[in-house]
Amino acid sequence: MLYVVLFFTFFSLFLYVLLGGADFGAGIVELFSSRDNRKLTRDTIYKVMGPIWEANHIWLIILIVILWIAFPAYFNVIIIYLHIPLTLVLLGITMRGVAFIFRHYDAVIDASQIWYNRMFRISSLLTPIFLGMSFGALVSGEIVITNDYSQTTFAEIFISPWLNIFSVLTGLFYAALCAFLASTLLIGETSAEIRKIYSRKSAFFTIVLVLLGGAVLFYGYYTDMVFVKDFLQNTLSLLAIGISALLLIPLWTAIKKQRSVLTRIFAGAQILLVIFAAVNTHFPNLIITAGEELNMLEDIAPYSVIKVLAITLLAGGFVILPGLFHLMRSFNMIKFSMKENEEEVS
Amino acid sequence: MENLDFARLQMAFTLGFHIIFACIGMVMPFFMVVSHKKWLNTRKPHYLKLTKAWQRGVAIFFVTGAVSGTALSFELGMLWPEFMKHAGPVIGMPFSLEGAAFFVEAIALGFYLYGWKKLPETFHWITGIIIGISGVASGILVVSANAWMNSPAGFEVINGEFKNIDPVAALLNDAWFTQALHMTLAAFAATGFAVAGIHAFQILRNKKPELHKAAFKIAITFGGIGALLQPISGDLSAKDVAKRQPIKLAAMEAHYETMEKAPLYIGGIVDAEKKEVTNKIEIPGALSFLAFGDFDAEVKGLNDFPQDELPPVPIVHYAFQIMVGIGSLLMLAALIYFISLKKKKWLENRKFWWLFALISPLGFVAVEAGWVVTEVGRQPWIVYNIMKTKDAVTPMPGMEYSFYLYVSVYLILALTVAWLMNRQIKVLNRSIG
Ligand code: HDD
Ligand code: HEM
Ligand code: HEM
Repeated sequence: MLYVVLFFTFFSLFLYVLLGGADFGAGIVELFSSRDNRKLTRDTIYKVMGPIWEANHIWLIILIVILWIAFPAYFNVIIIYLHIPLTLVLLGITMRGVAFIFRHYDAVIDASQIWYNRMFRISSLLTPIFLGMSFGALVSGEIVITNDYSQTTFAEIFISPWLNIFSVLTGLFYAALCAFLASTLLIGETSAEIRKIYSRKSAFFTIVLVLLGGAVLFYGYYTDMVFVKDFLQNTLSLLAIGISALLLIPLWTAIKKQRSVLTRIFAGAQILLVIFAAVNTHFPNLIITAGEELNMLEDIAPYSVIKVLAITLLAGGFVILPGLFHLMRSFNMIKFSMKENEEEVS
Repeated sequence: MENLDFARLQMAFTLGFHIIFACIGMVMPFFMVVSHKKWLNTRKPHYLKLTKAWQRGVAIFFVTGAVSGTALSFELGMLWPEFMKHAGPVIGMPFSLEGAAFFVEAIALGFYLYGWKKLPETFHWITGIIIGISGVASGILVVSANAWMNSPAGFEVINGEFKNIDPVAALLNDAWFTQALHMTLAAFAATGFAVAGIHAFQILRNKKPELHKAAFKIAITFGGIGALLQPISGDLSAKDVAKRQPIKLAAMEAHYETMEKAPLYIGGIVDAEKKEVTNKIEIPGALSFLAFGDFDAEVKGLNDFPQDELPPVPIVHYAFQIMVGIGSLLMLAALIYFISLKKKKWLENRKFWWLFALISPLGFVAVEAGWVVTEVGRQPWIVYNIMKTKDAVTPMPGMEYSFYLYVSVYLILALTVAWLMNRQIKVLNRSIG
């Protein structure tokens, strides 16, 4: 039963990073688009993301709920020591959520659109950065767990774990990942001539992504970070990252040939591999603090709770996943062949 | 004020904000599908226009409800980490089921909003119903988690740890049914009267009377039924509180002395120092009857409880009075509406429409007041008789900044949403036909 819960934990993490990430990325792509392309990007995003917009973000809620039910001690550490960056994430989610809906459901189209757009784009960039910084903070080895607040300053406990070079780099890395995902997704959604724009964007963000990924590893290596050192010594993780890097070649070919289905599959697989590599390195010690490594599987909820949670998740999954799949299919978000897509475009 | 006070204020403020959007998100879909059904049956264009206008409303409220709810699911941990560490596994079940309900709701909403002219008509309409049902289901589930805080069940405390956890028993605690029933009715009453009032005002301004009368009728039917049932359910809640949290009951009534044939106070100014209530109307024996269904029953007074376990009595008492006062008023208004179905002449009287326009926001005032009764009445406990609120709060200092941040962001949001709604109505009135 614990495995069911663990499966859903990482499954939600993966889907949030992937779908939520593509969603954040859409705003980043819009931000980095030339003036002429912005409107186009905006409309395309609405068409692609609109129907599943809400569902994308529920993966985060599911993840949080699983954490607090099944791994309360772990959740406790995350939520106390990352209070500030997570508040900023929430602020960002709030801003871009309402901006997205306001700009499409406001009854009057006027100058206020400019504000909605600005709010949407800027929070789309900042939110994943803070989220990535939080992920980075967890493995940075900077978190100080203490009950004695007289020995340490506020900044040492609540700020420096997430506001350091390593965490900022992971934040930027995640934002680049989002932009990469979104531009890859958008390739399949537009007519042939416009596709070029997104192909170029996708290529650009791939380069940024690889550079930032390299920077994270280099920085971690030269500052002797436990996580990065272990990462670089873990064959399986390296293999996963290696495959993910190799996948760039077919990905680029697919992008060049503008094969939208294939690009998506490759991009999804890459995210899966990156997450796998990161989690695999240190599972189950996914939090690395200044003094110790915290084991996720220690101090978990009692079996009776895990069992009920697993059953709920399985039952919920049986209802939700087919529904979600049907939703995506109905609005052409999952395509089985290019042909279908071509028809829709023409 | 201390950190704890700011954490409390922030919790109260954000929940008070979320509840408004949550209520509307639960109830508006029902209005929308009724109007949609009427459009499918009659093909009168004003029903389609109304459905689309309400759909925009649902979308805007849904998202505001969803983002504030997402913030809440983090906040429970951010503000009360010790509470979540111990209680999280126990009350996890309603929250995980709630997550499933949200998901169903979000999927159905995706189909509904984007499904016009793309999906078969009946299927499209049914997805609207699913939005409503799953919204109500999530409301019921989260209230059941709150009921657990009032009436903890499904675990044992051994050496300060929560052991032998039974999540199902925790979900089905003693308070869940009365609270969930009362909350669901409250959502219908509050949203129904609010929406009806807005349309009544448009009728007064003589804008598109046909459309606004249709809208008024749909909203007030739901709201009126809720308001008629609300006092009955409130009475059940009061009897329930009398049994499980006698101290809360005494605070609601500002009842200091233990006595038989306890009187019920209407109005009154509470002096918490002198422990007395002045300027009140007294109904002899009514409190005993209200609490235990027996005019002679003994009701324990605040003076006979440990004095360090009293909630802030005046707040609880005033909030309770406000809720019950509004409850009686809304019930009367509902009666007036249902009688007007027979006496059509009333509908020509402008006073009729003014009545509904003026009481429009009261349902939500009652909702907020009711939650203050429940939550402040539980103090100083976060989990009744198990864990104190002060032992649950975050160790992080500086909560005042967090509080100010939330207040400013949410106030701006609330103003924006109000402004957007105003624009929706203007456009609706300006549209042709
Ligand atoms: C439209 C809103 C509304 C109206 C008209 C009423 N209530 Fe209410 N009441 C609520 C909205 C509400 C609420 C906000 O929804 C609460 C808070 C917690 C809950 O479950 O419901 C609540 C709580 C609440 C409680 C506390 C329950 C607890 O702590 O567990 C009692 C005893 C009552 N109500 C009693 C009444 C009575 C006797 C009413 C007579 C007319 C009444 N309510 C009208
Ligand atoms: C009495 C209190 C509450 C009621 C009746 C209620 C009800 C609802 C409803 C009906 C929705 C759907 C949104 C909509 O349709 O507009 C919603 C959203 C949400 N609520 Fe609440 N809620 C309450 C309190 C809470 C609390 C305490 C939490 C956190 C722990 C919470 C977490 C959420 C979350 C995460 C969402 C967003 C789900 C989504 O993305 O759709 N709610 N709530
Ligand atoms: C939406 C309607 C709700 C409103 C308006 C509301 C209001 C409040 C208020 C006023 C307080 C502060 C009490 C005080 O410290 O004096 C509070 C505290 C709290 N509420 Fe609620 N509440 C609502 C629903 C819920 C629900 C559904 C839950 C949980 C499932 C919840 C959980 C809490 C917690 C954990 C605290 C902090 C601890 C405490 O002060 O007891 N509330 N709420």
